[in-house]
Amino acid sequence: MILEVIGWIGISLLAIGALMDVIAAIGINKFKNFYLRLHAATVGIIGGAFYPLLGLGLLSLSLEQLGVIRFYIAGISFTSAFFVLITAPVGSHILARAAHRVGVMPEPIGVDRLKEDREKGVFK
Amino acid sequence: MTVEYTLQHILLLVALTLALIFTYKTLVERDLIEAIVYSAGQAVAYGLAFIALMAPDLALAYIAVGVGIYSALFIIVVSHTERYEKE
Amino acid sequence: MDLAIVKSIVSGLMVLFITAIVLYTIRIIRGPTIPDMVLAVDALAYDMAVMIIALSFLFNTPYLAVASLPLVLWAYILDMYVAKYLERKSIGD
Repeated sequence: MILEVIGWIGISLLAIGALMDVIAAIGINKFKNFYLRLHAATVGIIGGAFYPLLGLGLLSLSLEQLGVIRFYIAGISFTSAFFVLITAPVGSHILARAAHRVGVMPEPIGVDRLKEDREKGVFK
Repeated sequence: MTVEYTLQHILLLVALTLALIFTYKTLVERDLIEAIVYSAGQAVAYGLAFIALMAPDLALAYIAVGVGIYSALFIIVVSHTERYEKE
Repeated sequence: MDLAIVKSIVSGLMVLFITAIVLYTIRIIRGPTIPDMVLAVDALAYDMAVMIIALSFLFNTPYLAVASLPLVLWAYILDMYVAKYLERKSIGD
C-alpha cells in the first residue's frame, strides 16, 4: 500500500518535471533578453532536472520486481538530485554576474542601480 | 519490451543529428569562445549517443573530458592569445 | 504496480524531454550573446542526466546510471571558466 503511494508520487513528480521542462524550453526561445531567459533556464534546471530525478528515485524504490537494482538506481538518483540543487544556482548566478559586467543589457533600460553603485565605488 | 527499444532508436537519431549540427557550427565559427561552447554541446550529444548504445564507461570518460577538462583547457589557451580568428 | 505500464508511462514522458532538448538546441544555435549559449548548454546537460537515469531504469541495468554523477558534477565547470574569462576581459588585466 505504502509502496504504491510512493510510486504514484514518483510518477507525478516525473510528469510535473517533464511539463516544466517543455514549458521552460519554449520560454527560453520566446523571451527577449538574457535576464528573462535566465528565469526560464532556472525553471528548466530545477523544475526539469531536480524533480524528475527525485521522482525516478522514488519510483524505482517502490517497484519490488526490480530486485536489488532498485536501491542502486535510487541512490545514484538522489545523489544526482542533491548535486543539481547545489551546482545549478552557482552556475546561473555566476553567469548573471559576468553578463552584467560585460555589458549585456535589456534594450529599453530605464534605471540601473547596480551600475551606478559600481561607478560610485560601493561595489568593486 | 518494444517501447524501450523504440525510445532508444529515437534517442540515437536525435543525439547523432545534434552532434552533426554542433560539429558543423564548431568548424565554421570565427569566435573561438563560441566554438568552445559548441564543442561542449557536441560532447553532451555524444554522451547521449553513447548511453543510447549502452556504453556507460565510454560515456563517463567522454563527459568528464569533453565537457569539463577540454573546455577549461581551451578557454585558458584562448585567454592567452586572441579571441577572434582572422580571415 | 505493473512494471510494463510504468515503463510505458516513463517512455512516453521521455518524449517530452527529447522535445525540450531539441528546443534548447535551437536557442544554442540562435543565441546572440555567449551567456545565452552557455545557459542553454547547462540546461541541456542537466536534462541529459535525467535521461541517463531513465534509460537505466527502463533497461534494468545499474551500470548505465553511473554516468549521471560525473555529468552533474562537471557541467558547471564550463560556466565558471566562461564567466572568469568574460569578467577578466572586462576588468582589463
